[in-house]
Amino acid sequence: MEECGSEKKMEKENLGPRMDPPLGEPQGSLGWVLPNTAMKKKVLLMGKSGSVDVEHSHVQFLGNLVLNLWDCGGQDSFMENYFTSQRDNIFQNVEVLIYVFDVESRELEKDMHYYQSCLEAILQNSPDARIFCLVHKMDLVQEDQRDLIFREREEDLRRLSRPLECSCFRTSIWDETLYKAWSSIVYHLIPNVQQLEMNLRNFAEIIEADEVLLFERATFLVISHYQCKEQRDAHRFEKISNIIKQFKLSCSKLAASFQSMEVRNSNFAAFIDIFTSNTYVMVVMSDPSIPSAATLINIRNARKHFEKLERVDGPKQCLLMC
Amino acid sequence: MANVHDRHHLISEIDDEVNPGPMNIQFDSSDLRSKRPFYIEPTNIVNVNDVIQRVSDHASALDKRIHYYSRLSTPADKALIAPDHVVPAPEECYVYSPLGSAYKLQSYTEGHGKNTSLVTIFMIWNTMMGTSILSIPWGIKQAGFTTGMCVIVLMGLLTLYCCYRVVKSRSMIPSLDTSTWEYPDVCRYYFGSFGQWSSLLCSLVSLIGAMIVYWVLMSNFLFNTGKFIFNFIHHINDSDTVLRTNNSSPVICPSAGSGDYPDNDSMIFYANDTGVQQFEKWWNRSKTVPFYLIGLLLPLLNFKSPSFFSKFNILGTVSVLYLIFLVTLKTIRLGFHLEFHWFVSTEFFVPEIRLQFPQLTGVLTLAFFIHNCIITLLKNNKNQENNVRDLCIAYMLVTLTYLYIGILVFASFPSPPLSKDCIEQNFLDNFPSNDILSFIARIFLLFQMMTVYPLLGYLARVQLLGHVFGDIYPSIFHVLVLNIIIVGAGVIMACFYPNIGGIIRYSGAACGLAFVFIYPSLIYIISLRREERLTWPRLIFHICIIILGLANLIFQFFM
Repeated sequence: MEECGSEKKMEKENLGPRMDPPLGEPQGSLGWVLPNTAMKKKVLLMGKSGSVDVEHSHVQFLGNLVLNLWDCGGQDSFMENYFTSQRDNIFQNVEVLIYVFDVESRELEKDMHYYQSCLEAILQNSPDARIFCLVHKMDLVQEDQRDLIFREREEDLRRLSRPLECSCFRTSIWDETLYKAWSSIVYHLIPNVQQLEMNLRNFAEIIEADEVLLFERATFLVISHYQCKEQRDAHRFEKISNIIKQFKLSCSKLAASFQSMEVRNSNFAAFIDIFTSNTYVMVVMSDPSIPSAATLINIRNARKHFEKLERVDGPKQCLLMC
Repeated sequence: MANVHDRHHLISEIDDEVNPGPMNIQFDSSDLRSKRPFYIEPTNIVNVNDVIQRVSDHASALDKRIHYYSRLSTPADKALIAPDHVVPAPEECYVYSPLGSAYKLQSYTEGHGKNTSLVTIFMIWNTMMGTSILSIPWGIKQAGFTTGMCVIVLMGLLTLYCCYRVVKSRSMIPSLDTSTWEYPDVCRYYFGSFGQWSSLLCSLVSLIGAMIVYWVLMSNFLFNTGKFIFNFIHHINDSDTVLRTNNSSPVICPSAGSGDYPDNDSMIFYANDTGVQQFEKWWNRSKTVPFYLIGLLLPLLNFKSPSFFSKFNILGTVSVLYLIFLVTLKTIRLGFHLEFHWFVSTEFFVPEIRLQFPQLTGVLTLAFFIHNCIITLLKNNKNQENNVRDLCIAYMLVTLTYLYIGILVFASFPSPPLSKDCIEQNFLDNFPSNDILSFIARIFLLFQMMTVYPLLGYLARVQLLGHVFGDIYPSIFHVLVLNIIIVGAGVIMACFYPNIGGIIRYSGAACGLAFVFIYPSLIYIISLRREERLTWPRLIFHICIIILGLANLIFQFFM
């Protein structure tokens, strides 16, 4: 069944199997600015896929970023030819390159070779792009060896990437590392994230919330958050993300789309609601005497403010603004 | 909100008397993967307070992750199933509430089996011990005493070997995960849907054969019980009309002079007692009593779940033990009456070697039949490496029990006044209906059979309707039609052909042909061939087994 492709991409160990275009909320920047595809920046996700049959697809997130997935290093010579012939096209306008390495790959040389050729293309076409490398499937390595192997790989990659700078993460879908890696990638993609955090803090203090989270709309990655005191569970972001994504799956089976949720008991009240065009917000109040209506009004009012924030200091593309 | 993993107990508690029942019914999925992520390593149980144990955040996050991934793909897609190194090996099982608390279940195990060897052996013995025990003395009589004993031992060994092949069959399948497979699944793997359908057919043959035998026996026992009570109340002593011995331990020969059908004393005439005549008219072994049972049992067959009846399984063991006790007591009172005439039949004795011995092999095929559920029974053995040893011990005990009862009944049958030929297909029929000890035996068996009958009906229904319609309870109409057919067959047999020995041997040879003789040998030959380890001696040996099975079935019709 269809679902937001970017989530699926992050979860699957093999990149690149067939993906249906995402359903769900159409993401455009704003109503009256026609999205200009030439303006859209690309996030390239590349790696080796287990399957030969690969389509690259477009997934939009953060409103104006398009995620392109490419399988490289595969055995399919047709794909390779297509890749080399379309190189310039693929590597233009790239904002971020995310390259995934398989930690148990037997063809290290070949992987590095492909990686370097991608880097060359980036250097030619989009020299400002940021590079992230994920060393994936780390769960297959013994626990005591993981750090060591990761350090080695990181060294190699840093060395190979010069003069470009790359950040490395070690990931596995079976623990929290993948989520954390994607969260930091997304964090870097948001241009005004500090300002966002400051505004979030103000917002939280005004409405007396314990914690406020901002999620990206399509992938439910935590873009930024504010907490007024220490929370016990360090894994709570990923848990909430998975719970909501699972709920969205169930909703879409009924051809409904998830909009908002309120969870309340004698100790707390939590509100998850659509916020701006690219984000969801989650507000946790530990004072149950505050009526829900009050918090919801606050959220609604804050919405306008944050929309403005997104527009004004928003991604560089939306310059055609009033 | 707690996710308790339910364990169905039906498979361990269905003790099918005549034919050990469940084929391919995995109530308890022992597939460990399907139970993740409810397993939590004990170190992840964090005590927040002493009353409720909580689960660590790390484990809780893993649980949510696995839940979500499992929704992303179809159950057939293996890529998103948590691999072994990610989910900790389950030491114990915890009921895990998404709110974070965890409760330890004392009695739960992962299906790795909690039964000691003794329990496993007992369960195998209990499941194999069926109503065919009542026909063993008759079978010995048909085969001749010496031949009978040899045949029992040899058939025990042969079926034991085939059972061993069944148990080992899964280990010869290299590439697949066979941990949840029963023997019909193995047949389907080797023979495709032909294997599946033929094993279904054979299982149904044995089940329905068992149910028919049950109906005949139940009518018999109910009749005798009613007669005993009636005679007891009215102080009637009807001991004069039938050929019998004249001592404190009477044994009768019901079929003497009345042809093939051990009739129901319809030759008793009390000319001046119309009350008894009325009773005789309305309480007739083959004309009325089978129908009275319909009102009692047909409703019970329509229940969706017969797990209520599985609580009475202990009655089966009690009945067998009581039979052993009864036979011992009778032998002590009657003494031994054995003479050995090798080839010639005398007035009172049968020859030691008779040509009708295939009738005994037919009965024994069903008596030693457990092949369609032995895998499930052995799965719960605590020490799996002892499986073969426990199986052999169980078979030995079963053989000894059959030998004991068969030999004692045969030997103690009072031959000077009565001929050995009088031994009935149900040896309890050789005791008059006013004999207290056998009355108690009949009551036990009657009650036990009435509780096993719905279980057999349930198994037949699950297999037939499950495979044909895909739903084990399509509608009350389907179920009712099936039950009427089964009950109708039982009633018809009880009225016109109440020879349980005959029914047992035909159905035993037919279903045993597939499960006992052909499939285990054939599958072994094929798997050896695939591994290129097939040698001529093995091939010939197993082909001989197949030929023996075929001969077993064919000779049922000729001897």
